[in-house]
Amino acid sequence: MTPALTKNKIPLITLVGQPNSGKTTLFNYLSGKNFKTVNYPGSTVEYSISKILSKFSINANILDSPGIISLIPSSPDEKISVDSLFSHPKFGKPEIVIITVDSSQLSRHLYLVKQLIDANFNVIVVLTMLDLLRKKNLDISESKLSSILGCKVLKIDSRTGKGLNELLLSLKDSISEISDNEELFPEQLVNTQKEKLLESYRHIEEIEKEVLFRKDPDNGNKNFDISEANKKLVVLNSVRLPNKPDAFTLKVDKFTLHRYWGILIFFLVMAVTFTSIFWLASPLMEFINEVFSLLSSGSEKLFGDTLIGNLISNGLINGLGSVLVFLPQILILFMILGLLEDSGYLARGAMLADKPLSMIGLNGKSFVPMLSGFACAIPAIMATRTISNRRERFLTIFIIPLMSCSARIPVYALLIAFLIPQDKPWIGGIAMASIYIFSIFSSLLIASLVNKFREKIIRESDSSSFILELPAYRKPKLQDVLNNTIKNATQYLKKAGPIIIYLSLFLWVLTYFPNTDPQVNVTGKTAEEVSELKNSERIMTSYASSLGKIIEPVMKPLGLDWRVGVSLIATFAAREVFVSSLALIFKITEEGDNIQASILKAMKEAKIEDTGEKLFTTATTTGLIIFFVFAMQCLSTVAISRKETGSWRIPALQIIVFSTIAYVVSFLTVTGLRFFGIN
Amino acid sequence: MRTASDLKLGEKAVIKDIDNTHPSSHRLLEIGFTPGQEIVLLTKSIFNDPIGLSIRGTIFAIRKNEASCIII
Repeated sequence: MTPALTKNKIPLITLVGQPNSGKTTLFNYLSGKNFKTVNYPGSTVEYSISKILSKFSINANILDSPGIISLIPSSPDEKISVDSLFSHPKFGKPEIVIITVDSSQLSRHLYLVKQLIDANFNVIVVLTMLDLLRKKNLDISESKLSSILGCKVLKIDSRTGKGLNELLLSLKDSISEISDNEELFPEQLVNTQKEKLLESYRHIEEIEKEVLFRKDPDNGNKNFDISEANKKLVVLNSVRLPNKPDAFTLKVDKFTLHRYWGILIFFLVMAVTFTSIFWLASPLMEFINEVFSLLSSGSEKLFGDTLIGNLISNGLINGLGSVLVFLPQILILFMILGLLEDSGYLARGAMLADKPLSMIGLNGKSFVPMLSGFACAIPAIMATRTISNRRERFLTIFIIPLMSCSARIPVYALLIAFLIPQDKPWIGGIAMASIYIFSIFSSLLIASLVNKFREKIIRESDSSSFILELPAYRKPKLQDVLNNTIKNATQYLKKAGPIIIYLSLFLWVLTYFPNTDPQVNVTGKTAEEVSELKNSERIMTSYASSLGKIIEPVMKPLGLDWRVGVSLIATFAAREVFVSSLALIFKITEEGDNIQASILKAMKEAKIEDTGEKLFTTATTTGLIIFFVFAMQCLSTVAISRKETGSWRIPALQIIVFSTIAYVVSFLTVTGLRFFGIN
Repeated sequence: MRTASDLKLGEKAVIKDIDNTHPSSHRLLEIGFTPGQEIVLLTKSIFNDPIGLSIRGTIFAIRKNEASCIII
């Protein structure tokens, strides 16, 4: 059992609640934005922890536990959440548990309350979603509920913060009353038998009849005053309470879940989400790129062509730039997903996607992570945690790298620009769209193949399930959405950021050493030209080029040479590095504006050294695009896949399977195109 | 024996029992699908699966397979 509360220990308040019960909103109120998100040791289950805001003058830690439905876990992740509630590995047992209860779904939410009370937690019940309850012409007596349950019960309007002061006062009381020797009953004591569960619900229904009452229909007072209203309310205990879902939600669902309209709306919502990720993010991404190229050239001027100068401008600043350039897309993606989730639509989307996805071994809940994969595989893989079935979660993680992530856009853009005539940019748009459609279809095909061999590949065989609450439609709370967005962006920066920077530095070492100070002919050349020549000479004699020459035999069947090989090695840091490393290898030292035009020119002129054939042709460039569609060239993704699946099995399979497919399909494309006379 | 998966759109029914042998039965009980409760089939997704049922004032989307352990 947890050691008794010592005088020095800061009290721990744990927030518990079912999904969609307003738990996170309350947490944000109490913690401000100063929370840390941490994983339970050795697991992917995460929780947020914070000190209660100092302005509330309560000295306590507050922990936002993952949403649970019951203390009887039905998945490994739920078990970790429940175990940690009883005794957190770092903070021990909570002194106070605040449970948020959606008062418009009272009986379903009281189930967890009863479990907590039976387990002897020091419970404070917070009733939320009162507006939804009142829309049903009902109200609830918190004093009655309090006396029946034997714990504190408070009402909070989390949208306006009304009731928050009462909660703070009551928290202060509770903290001063904390006794050291309250023991928790282990979870075995909680009802697990069907009969006991039904008895528990029968009791809850009795409670519900006691505490809920109908509002006087004549009292249409919109500005609800509790004490005033209480006097006027007519208690109708004997009448069976209408237990219908929110009327507005039912009306909206007639469209959003309509047989035909529903599908149309679904595709519209997805199209808008998708295009806004790209359109809203692109100016920001350009801006970040501009800033970092300015920083890079600035520091080069400042430090000159020295080891340190080069390390800072080419290694460090470029690495930092390639981390930050994805931030706009990640922010916008999580922003939109947050708005969709908070409004209630996302669950409908998952419902609509469930049947088609379940046919290939996925789950309706795989849909959002897969969609996120189009921005970046890292947050997408993190988002698979909502899939409770391990097999489906692993399969989703497995295919996410096939979603065409935004890091591939600059690569595609460059290669497409090479393929299409300059005067017809609209063909480029069509080409880009085709790449996306191609990647979606191939990933679905691969998913269904993997699903066929799942015994060998995924090795998880628990039964599939899809039980999802369709919450009432509500206006999204912007503050919550923003907090969640920032939380995810921080996670990206923390988890993927360092890996990308280390790899950029490693790559810089590969391209800078061993010939750090190459001798070049300086007669009649400006200082700038000398510097350019030195850079090129350095990379041509670097470790990277030696490595590229080793893998040249592998590149040959694809019609490519060691220089492209070097760039492909470089893409393991991040795919978009392909463009900058091509620039380096083809000696582009253009400053500022038109780096792409210079690379394109160099690509057009590049020839394979020993044969004199053109390096970039229609066939080889198309092959290269195909290669990028499949190849698992992102070490950050490998790292996160290892972390989220708990073993090297899935990431290793991803590297082997996807690299093989990339190579074979690319080879077939190049050979096929050449066979038909397209070179 | 009729189950929730046989409901027509908009049809109401009262739960008689939950089939214990189904792997999802315990979770369904926990979220409130208990005998005696009224359910309404509110919506069906494409291919008629999953289905949207109302229970205790909440809408749940569940697969037909899972609905088949709700005996009505």
